[in-house]
Amino acid sequence: MRFELFIAARYLRAKRRQAVVGVITAISIIGVAAGVASLIIALAITNGMRRDMQERLLGSTAHVDLMRVAADGIRNWRPLLEKLRQVPHVTAAAPGLYGQVLISRGARSGGGLIKGIIPADEKTVGDLLQKVYEGSAEALEPADNGSRSARMPTSGDETARYGAPDTVAVQTVPPIVIGKDLAETIGAKVGDTVLVTSPQGELTPLGLVPKYQRCSLVGIFKSGFYQYDSSYAFMRLKDAQRLFSEPDLISVISFKVDDLYKADKIGRVIEEEAGKGFQTTSWMQQNRELFRALKLEQIVTFIVLALIVCVAALNILIALTMMVMEKTRDIAVLMSFGVTEMQVRRIFLMQGLLISVIGTLLGLVLGYALSWAGGHYRFPLDASVYSIDYLPFAPRVWDGVIVAVVSLGVSLMATLYPSGSAAKVLPAEALRYE
Amino acid sequence: MTDSGRMQPFPKPQKPQAVLRAEGLTKVYAEVSEGAGGLELFRGLDLAVHAGEMVAIVGESGAGKSTLLHLLAALDKPTAGEVYCGEAQLSKFTAREASEFRNRDVGYVWQFHYLLPEFTALENVAMPLLARGMGRTAALERGAYWLGEVGLGTRGHHRSGELSGGEQQRVSLARALVTEPKLLLADEPTGDLDTRTGEAVFELIQGLHQAHGLTSVLVTHNLDFAGRCTRMLRLKGGRLEEVTRS
Repeated sequence: MRFELFIAARYLRAKRRQAVVGVITAISIIGVAAGVASLIIALAITNGMRRDMQERLLGSTAHVDLMRVAADGIRNWRPLLEKLRQVPHVTAAAPGLYGQVLISRGARSGGGLIKGIIPADEKTVGDLLQKVYEGSAEALEPADNGSRSARMPTSGDETARYGAPDTVAVQTVPPIVIGKDLAETIGAKVGDTVLVTSPQGELTPLGLVPKYQRCSLVGIFKSGFYQYDSSYAFMRLKDAQRLFSEPDLISVISFKVDDLYKADKIGRVIEEEAGKGFQTTSWMQQNRELFRALKLEQIVTFIVLALIVCVAALNILIALTMMVMEKTRDIAVLMSFGVTEMQVRRIFLMQGLLISVIGTLLGLVLGYALSWAGGHYRFPLDASVYSIDYLPFAPRVWDGVIVAVVSLGVSLMATLYPSGSAAKVLPAEALRYE
Repeated sequence: MTDSGRMQPFPKPQKPQAVLRAEGLTKVYAEVSEGAGGLELFRGLDLAVHAGEMVAIVGESGAGKSTLLHLLAALDKPTAGEVYCGEAQLSKFTAREASEFRNRDVGYVWQFHYLLPEFTALENVAMPLLARGMGRTAALERGAYWLGEVGLGTRGHHRSGELSGGEQQRVSLARALVTEPKLLLADEPTGDLDTRTGEAVFELIQGLHQAHGLTSVLVTHNLDFAGRCTRMLRLKGGRLEEVTRS
């Protein structure tokens, strides 16, 4: 192998009889380098985008949600919540009550999903409340913490936190926090009173009448996810229970876990701990389509950019084919003193691989350097268009390995024909016409 | 003389074993161009070269001298017949065995030097040894010795383009002999050189042949050189004839 490498390396460095072969060789190296660098940069950007989206998404949502299979709500949830907080890898848990509502202000209205929460707990499993950019989520906190409209009992720790089952907080106008797009849809601003209408109405002598509640809009959040910003609204758990006529009932317990990627597994443990009739869904299951789309985008990007490497490989094929034509006499001479067909084949295989290795190494260095620079000197983006104000770069070593393997593999394929034709040279024939 | 007083015939000198033999060698090229038919160079050709001989083959251009040399070096295959080197039957060789035969048993010198221009004279000489897997240092040492043998001990670091025609052919000769082969086959080694340089190269070949106990076959157009060989054979009409010297 040393002999073949010795010849191949010298052929690569030597001045060409046909200058065009040298030019094509240089173009091949540049082409491979450009393809590899483009792949590394594109993968770093798609990884960065994915990571950013994942971080924001996971900030907004819980890692695992526990619900009743029959969707009949979780009663006597306090001991269950305390029990499930002890499950290994669970770092936080919070109760919640979901319900579909119509939120309106004057003539304008929009559909929404109310989540009744205990703010102190909710903040441990999701950060939508920390993303309030107008007003404040503090108004959702129980009594004496700035809340304008709620008075909560204060007897005992747990009671103070969750409220006693039979306690009826005295409400005037309960506070509500809604998403930015929903606020725009109904034309509401902080301080406005909005009407929240629940389809789960009350039976009156006049028939089923929808239940409604006037709420004070105390905060508007912006998560960057249309799904949340256009429909989510937060109320205190007690207020939501009253609105939905569900005394001391929750529909979900949300969890944060210490290892994102084991959310499915930890979810199954939580399910077992909760007992029969419960099911969990993880963030991966809830957002499977989104991440599948991101993965697909990454694969398509990879394939499209890998075409650059294919074009470069085509250059390698042309350069090597021309070199074999140029070197036919030398090949015959090598064979005349005993160089085997396999050795000749390997000389040109190695030459193609040398071009590819040099191009790939240059491309890796260039790609990672530019990715690092892109991450270091942030490239600004229009946040209103991309929902992120800079281009995120997240280069990964594993991507470099895959790109290098693909680049070398494609180049190796390109060397097969010319190296094969070099091995077929018949020395007597080749030198007869010299 | 025996006891009976009868004269016994003088014992016939034992002919040494032929190192290289060709038996019934035929070479026909398939139709070279449309309608031209096949080209028969020779048919049923026999040749025996004995150890230590320096055989010259002469003949007109196109007679098939170079082709015969290619067949003897396993660079080409005959249409019929067989070439033997010692006990080895060349037509039975696989491609790999043929390569090994050319690397170990044959030193080949072409009319043109055919040095690899990307490499120095020393690297060119060491190339057959490197090809067989010998270490670089050992191969270059042997190469340097053979460059010295052809009188170019100080020119090892020069590339072929920096050498004269005669020097290039000497390097080519050193490359052919670096593996210390049984056979030296030279195809018009002086054909591309001027008279004086050609003479010097021929004398070098002759000197090395004697000094290293080689068995050599030379194809040449130069009857003077051919006359100075052990035997001269003429390839004519597809047959080899022994040329007797006056």
